[in-house]
Amino acid sequence: MTHMLLYIDQISEGYVILITGLLIVFGALLTLSLFFKFGLPVMLYIYKVITKRKDKKIKDIKVEADEAFTGEIAAAISVAIHMYLNEQHDNENAILTIKQARKLYSPWSSKIYGTHNKL
Amino acid sequence: MKKILLIFGVLSLLIFIRPALGLNTNTTNNNSLNTTEQVNTSEGDNVYEGAFKGIKQFYNYTGFANATSGNLIMIFIGIIFIYLGIKFDYEPLLLIPIGAGVIIGNIPFVAGNQTGIYETGSVLNYLYFGVVKGVYPPLIFLGIGAMTDFSSLIANPKLMLLGAAAQIGVFATFLGALYLGFNLPEAGAIGIIGGADGPTAIFLSSKLANGLNVLADGTTVKNLIGPIAIAAYSYMALVPVIQPPLMRLLISKEDRKIKMKPPRAVSQKEKMIFPIVALILTTFISPSALPLLGMLFFGNLLKESGRTERLADTARTKLIDIVTILLGVTVGASTQADIFITKDSMLIFGLGAISFVIATCGGLLFAKFMNLFLKGDNKINPLIGAAGVSAVPDSARVVHTEGLKSDPSNYLLMHAMAPNVSGVIGSAIAAGIILSFLG
Repeated sequence: MTHMLLYIDQISEGYVILITGLLIVFGALLTLSLFFKFGLPVMLYIYKVITKRKDKKIKDIKVEADEAFTGEIAAAISVAIHMYLNEQHDNENAILTIKQARKLYSPWSSKIYGTHNKL
Repeated sequence: MKKILLIFGVLSLLIFIRPALGLNTNTTNNNSLNTTEQVNTSEGDNVYEGAFKGIKQFYNYTGFANATSGNLIMIFIGIIFIYLGIKFDYEPLLLIPIGAGVIIGNIPFVAGNQTGIYETGSVLNYLYFGVVKGVYPPLIFLGIGAMTDFSSLIANPKLMLLGAAAQIGVFATFLGALYLGFNLPEAGAIGIIGGADGPTAIFLSSKLANGLNVLADGTTVKNLIGPIAIAAYSYMALVPVIQPPLMRLLISKEDRKIKMKPPRAVSQKEKMIFPIVALILTTFISPSALPLLGMLFFGNLLKESGRTERLADTARTKLIDIVTILLGVTVGASTQADIFITKDSMLIFGLGAISFVIATCGGLLFAKFMNLFLKGDNKINPLIGAAGVSAVPDSARVVHTEGLKSDPSNYLLMHAMAPNVSGVIGSAIAAGIILSFLG
């Protein structure tokens, strides 16, 4: 009997945790997203007011960076730089490897050759 | 040449002399007393018997004598983990250490020699301390924070809600575990598998289901750290298998082709403000998640401040590598067969799979639901909802490849990273809530 009671109690507590937990998680991330949607521009504005120019309105600095400059452009530029720096060796001069040897004739044990060509 | 001959000569002389000396001693013994010889022979018998006994004892200490079917099954599972990691590239950084750990933990041994991971004083036990006390997960989070770029999230804050929607998997599994007869703390620890976040799962299970806490009715909670961690990590590795069918089932072909507008560029100031504000806001709401969220945002601040590049670099390379090695091996080794192969572990594996499915569906459906309120090019591609289960960055990658399949020019990776990282924050908050309710 007591076991049964405990069991039901656990399930109902489980539902309480389910609902409150979900609400809190949603609430927390909603506050975060609202803050970054609305709070952050205000903060940046206040920062600007404190540092210098006072005549600007919130609307003017809502998006600080250039609107046309998206992440895609940044990605393209960085890929280009990366390729330039890392893939350079693909265009190396192939002639390097087939350069003519300095000595045309070199019988390594020839005594005569050794007396004529001093190292 | 002479020297070699000399050395060889001396050596051979020594070898010849030795039996002669031994013979001498024997003869003197014989001369002195007959009884001693008798004793000697019986001792010789004893020597053979002793040697045989020694070998027998040695055999009793080997793995061959102590192996149980459970050990062999777990070693086989360890080999499968390693195979999956190498062959299919499913999170090899996790599966290979864990697989090796599973093999290490299931080599049969005689208890009592401070060998096993559950014997106090053994080396593995000391390393396992970091898992049991929840030391490793915050360190992993520090590294994740120093790796993660939150800019796509800052550019499009509404995507944070997708990370929250996927946490429905956590709470649904929690309820499922309760119905299956687990008690509250155990169910909480099992539920967090749905957060798809290995470190968080280990952190929460080490606090709730560690085999030490005593409940109100006098029973001790079971030690479920091993099964939960293995379930969480193996399903994380299986994200590329679990998620795509659900995506195709729930999202229509037209919806899959939605192109999202590229996120705006985010200024450095915003990136610096983000970790500080998010740290304060989230930990005020859920203080129990402080070790995880505190380290996550601290790591991100190291990265974004622009002045501590050295610290950030260590956190995201060396430090996280070291901790991952220790965590992987000890979590793997904690699956010692006599403790791991139980009915509970099987139930946990089943619940884990369901929780991943529910979490993915939650994210996908909530993304569709959000689309009802969004217009024009603000619409989001519902596929990115699936990235709301954390599993950074695997689920984002799965979303990306799935998006490419329906439209080869639709790059979703950047957008999918936003719900993905917010899923990490969301699951840490959920862990904090469960901990504050049940801890």
